[in-house]
Order: sequence, then structure tokens, then C-alpha cells
Amino acid sequence: MTREVFITYVEQEQEALRSFLFALCCGNKDEADDLAQDALVKAYLSCAGYQDKGKFRSWLFKIAHNTFLNHKASCRTMESIDDAKAFISNNAADDSFEHQDLYLALRTLPPKERSAITFYYLSGYDIKEIASITDTSTDAVKKQLSRGRDKLKEILKI
Amino acid sequence: MTKDKALEELFLTQKPHFDDKAEFMVRLTKRLDAVEYIRQYQEATLRRYKMAMVVTFVVGIISGAVTIGFLLSTPVDVPLFTFQVQTGSLLWLMQNSRIIVSTALALLITLGIISIYNNIQDIRSFRQSPAFLS
Repeated sequence: MTREVFITYVEQEQEALRSFLFALCCGNKDEADDLAQDALVKAYLSCAGYQDKGKFRSWLFKIAHNTFLNHKASCRTMESIDDAKAFISNNAADDSFEHQDLYLALRTLPPKERSAITFYYLSGYDIKEIASITDTSTDAVKKQLSRGRDKLKEILKI
Repeated sequence: MTKDKALEELFLTQKPHFDDKAEFMVRLTKRLDAVEYIRQYQEATLRRYKMAMVVTFVVGIISGAVTIGFLLSTPVDVPLFTFQVQTGSLLWLMQNSRIIVSTALALLITLGIISIYNNIQDIRSFRQSPAFLS
């Protein structure tokens, strides 16, 4: 894949990728964009090995997901609801978004549950595709989705 | 597994919109330029490294061949080096000069082979780990 083709694909998928990482980073735009940039550079470095089968988005999301997990592993693995509240209240720039409740709730989920929920509800992937992207079994994805959904519904009271 | 409608709607309504797409692409292009620069530098370094290895190899082969040729061309009973002073240990060195030179040569060749092997390993790992670029 040439650089021009890569750029063209990225322009098409930019919004989906950034939305995905934005949700994973619970509304922290700067963090999400930094991760998106890192993921895209990694994708560019390994795009020689990419075989075009019309699944560029899945391939890109896989790299982005791994980048996110590595980033989370290097930071704290899980945060409490109090930490999440403190985070939201300290990010005045993001307060203008109406996503606070959802992102506040997402922030309390472990990274893998958060990823599964985001893949399923935001990006529209089915369980099989999520299992393929995250290199896990469909049963594991089902469990993550079930746990994540229950926690979110409890927090959001829906 | 069926989708929870309420959650699905919440995600759909709260999907963010980005009005800085152009800036994002400019930033990405700059990073890709930097990556390309480093990649080209890495390839140039690799080429120089390979060239140095080839030159060293050729020089080693020629000097080794000359030394071995010299060793084989001298008469067996004539020592390869002599000393002005004839003490016990120096006499022993002189009498065994051929063995000493052969051993030193064998050691040098062994070190050379180990060095070549290490260099090949370095080049391989250099090629396989572009992770530092990210």
C-alpha cells in the first residue's frame, strides 16, 4: 500500500476511528487524538503487510484497540467512580459535550469491557467481528458485553 | 445476544462530531514525514553497515590468505621469528613459532566468525524492530 492510498483510506475512516477512541478515552479528546495518531503511525509502519480485502477499518480498529490497551496498561488499569467524577469536573473544555453521563459511566468499566461495549454499540460490529478484532473468543466477548451493559444500565439508570 | 435499544440510542445520539479533520490530517502527515525520514536514515545506516561488513570480509580473506600462504611457503625447520637474545623461554617461543602463529591465526579467524555472526544478528533485529519509530 502506498502512502497516498493509506492517506486516502485514513481520510475515509478518520471520524469512525476518532469516535471509537473518543469513547474509549471517555470523552478525553486530546488523549483520544494522541492515541489515534499513534495507532495510525503504527498502521502506516505495518501497512506493507496489509492485504486489501476491504477490511481496512477492522484492521485499523484492531491496531487502535491494541494501542489503547497498551496505553491503559502503562497507566492505571481501572478507575473508581469518584476518580471519574473528579476527571469530568476537572475537564472544563469537555464539559460542553452532552456526553458526560455516558462517558462518566464508561470510565468505570475495565478497558476490555469498555472496548467491547464501544465496538458493539458505537461502531456497530457484531460479536464475531469483535472477537476477531480483539483476538478473543465469542463467549468472552458475550460476557464482556453482558457485564458492561449491566454496569452501564445500573449507573445510567436506564 | 440482542442489542439494548436504550444503550444503542444513547451511543447514537452522543456520537461526537469532529470539525478539526483537516488539522488532524496535517498533524498525521507531519508524523508520517518524520517516520519516513527516520526510515530512510535507518536504511542508509543499514547500507553503510553492510558495505563495511563486505569490505572487512574481503580484507580479512585477503590478509588471511596472504598469512597462510606465507606460513606454508616457509621451510618447516626455519622458525617464523627469531630473537637476538637466546634465553630459555625465548628459545622455546622461537622453536614453537609455527604453532604459536597458527594458534593466533585460528583465534583471529574464530573471533572474526563470531563478529560476522553478531553483525548479521544486529542487522536482522534492526530490520525487524521498527517499533522505535512509533
